[in-house]
Amino acid sequence: MAVLNRMDWYDLARTTNWTPSYVTEDELFPPKLSGDFGLPQNAWEKYDEPYKQTYPEYVKVQRDKDAGAYSVKAALERSRIFENADPGWKSVMKAHYGAIARGEYAAASAEARMMRFSKAPGMRNMSTLGCLDEIRHGQMQLYFPHEHVSKDRQMDWAFKAYDTNEWAMIAARHFFDDIMMTRDAISVSIMLTFSFETGFTNMQFLGLAADAAEAGDHTFANLISSIQTDESRHAQIGGPALKVLIENGQKAEAQKRVDIAVWGAWKLFSVLTGPIMDYYTPLEHRKQSFKEFMEEWIVAQFERALTDMGLDLPWYWDIFLKDIAQTHHGMHLGAYYWRPTLWWNPAAGVTPDERAWLEEKYPGWNDTWGQCWDVFIDNVVDGNMAKAYPETLPYVCNMCQLPILGTPGKGWNVKDYPLEYKGRLYHFGSEVDRWVFEQEPERYAGHLSIVDRFLAGMIQPMDLGGALQYMGLAPGEIGDDAHNYAWAEIYRALRAAKKAS
Amino acid sequence: MSETQILKPLKTWSHLAARRRKPSEYEIVSANLHYNDRDPNSPYELDPDMFMNTWYKKNTFGTSLKHDDWNAFRDPDEVVYRTYNLMQDGQETYVFSLFDQFSQREHDKALDARWAGSLARFYTPARYLFHTVQMASAYVGQVSPASTITNCNYFQMADSLRWLSHTAYRTRELSLQFADKGFGVDERKYWETDPVWQGFRELMEKTLTVWDWGEAIVVLNLVAKPAIEESVLRKLGEAARHNGDTLLGLITDAELIDSARHRRWVGAFVKQALETPGNLEIIRGWIAKWEPLADKAIDAYCALLPDVADAAASAKAATRDFRHSLGL
Repeated sequence: MAVLNRMDWYDLARTTNWTPSYVTEDELFPPKLSGDFGLPQNAWEKYDEPYKQTYPEYVKVQRDKDAGAYSVKAALERSRIFENADPGWKSVMKAHYGAIARGEYAAASAEARMMRFSKAPGMRNMSTLGCLDEIRHGQMQLYFPHEHVSKDRQMDWAFKAYDTNEWAMIAARHFFDDIMMTRDAISVSIMLTFSFETGFTNMQFLGLAADAAEAGDHTFANLISSIQTDESRHAQIGGPALKVLIENGQKAEAQKRVDIAVWGAWKLFSVLTGPIMDYYTPLEHRKQSFKEFMEEWIVAQFERALTDMGLDLPWYWDIFLKDIAQTHHGMHLGAYYWRPTLWWNPAAGVTPDERAWLEEKYPGWNDTWGQCWDVFIDNVVDGNMAKAYPETLPYVCNMCQLPILGTPGKGWNVKDYPLEYKGRLYHFGSEVDRWVFEQEPERYAGHLSIVDRFLAGMIQPMDLGGALQYMGLAPGEIGDDAHNYAWAEIYRALRAAKKAS
Repeated sequence: MSETQILKPLKTWSHLAARRRKPSEYEIVSANLHYNDRDPNSPYELDPDMFMNTWYKKNTFGTSLKHDDWNAFRDPDEVVYRTYNLMQDGQETYVFSLFDQFSQREHDKALDARWAGSLARFYTPARYLFHTVQMASAYVGQVSPASTITNCNYFQMADSLRWLSHTAYRTRELSLQFADKGFGVDERKYWETDPVWQGFRELMEKTLTVWDWGEAIVVLNLVAKPAIEESVLRKLGEAARHNGDTLLGLITDAELIDSARHRRWVGAFVKQALETPGNLEIIRGWIAKWEPLADKAIDAYCALLPDVADAAASAKAATRDFRHSLGL
């Protein structure tokens, strides 16, 4: 015998629960931080993480992973991939880094909450490693874009976005703060790791990595697939916690947390990831449509994860399945139209070829979303740019903080789902958003959406200029069409050809 | 808008650009990362009065330990994630090479049975103690008002898992050589009932329930950790060497390298804290409040530790020397 095998000592390293006597168990693990499921420490000692790793294995494997990702970056630093990239692809990177980098860093503290407050010793050790992972993801996703700050002022938002009141960032913070920054240890494990990281980050990172590889951005492709290998370990922290809860008669509480987190994740993805995949990524580099990615990663794989766990599909699953073909088109149209309020330059993504692709992937697109784009395109072709920018704010949902929208055309179905709570009237974009609010109104009731703030006079002057200032967006940062409307030339030519004939 | 200046690209993040010097990788990826300080009324983007917002308003931003700009804190070692792994993979390779080498030389066979009994009592139960340091560091990290301070605590949390892992490894190995000493079985009993450990258990259970960030960071890093390190690493290492246990001495030495790094950031932290008038008295007050409990823990542990002369007095003096070196 020379060196012991890992499993010879692994269990000892996670046998760390003891009975406190100088403080009470509730003082050591306050229920509001620990998870108020009424389960004592020994119920949690059955927790068994499926992905086992020791400290020495961790530092070795992670050192090697970093060597890989950083050496690809170093090798390609002078390759001018960024300079030569399609402007739509640059926008993908800007949106991704801004909305993700510091959110990942914040997740280190969510992991630290599980580490400190979980009553399951295995979870405490796994979250220690998970916490380190999230420091990694925050730091890499700041270090990599930093290379580009001197080339493009919008890249500053890879850092700055989280400090601002930019509307999409309010939505991102509202979601992440709800599922990971303000929950007890067990809820974090269910909402962040099981509900969000199992399906959604998989899709963002692997889906985007596929598109990045297609687009020739190997640094980015390598970076985010390397990140995903960590996610696939620490995303498994929540599963065994769900098992303990279900075995102890807490299925309903567990299910509720899954349902809340999945819906919020879906809404955030509909505004950030949907437009990226179906409109910004250059057509020739699109691997699959957003809906197809959703069907693969969320519908098929996550459905299986839920049922394997003994949970039900969220009660709103039929609404969700319908929405994955629709919502993000509205989010894109809205985000594009309000493009001065973005820190990236959205690609319109509506050339005739792109429209043909959209029609193929989303039958009926031309009769619905296409009709709105027709009007917009006519204005651009006519040089009527005043009509191509917004003057007012859209109405936003008091839960997801995103515009309340519907699908245009014959089936126009936009609807407000209002709720009066303690004398204040709230507006929601869907039955599900309203349901989330109703589960724990005191978590959300005192929050003001950006429109609430506007109406309260907190944004001055009350026009687009005032709104931009409030959002921290100055000229040089504010978004405009990624391709400077070059795509409109095709429509100009088509119109000229039509006239000539 | 035509009169407005159009912002040009900068050489670094706008929050670092004003200083006109090239930032290090450490600063680019470590400084000002928390976003929960943007709205004093609502650290998180939810109801300002919901539980966790109240928690942070009270315990992080409401502590009496004040500084105008905690974000100015810099870790003197500038540890970032990737250098942490480089460093600790190297350290672990060293420790595991010790395990390997000493196992091949049948080190444990040569240990005295009486010393093995001492290991079961004074060494292997430390896995529980190291775990409390892991937990306490995780708490201080998550409520720290600056990401640069948070990161030092998170790396310290991971280092505590490292110490715990070495202990678990040796526990199993010792259990193979000494089947009758309760290795791998009795640690919890020692930790919960043996007088040797009750001081540390009381100290850490109480440390773990300090919620105010200022007090928590002071108690953990200036009082509790130094007491643990001077007794359960340094004095135990000395006892090991006096009992032919070269391996344990080398392990605790390796762990003390982490501890020395921790003390460097703690030193920088105290220096920064003392820039604010009144903080010296606040910190001294907390030390005065907690030092008796730490001393009691050192006494209980060191009094019975075999073959180290004046262990308790020397360990207590070392904790004070550390604090004195920081002007406390």
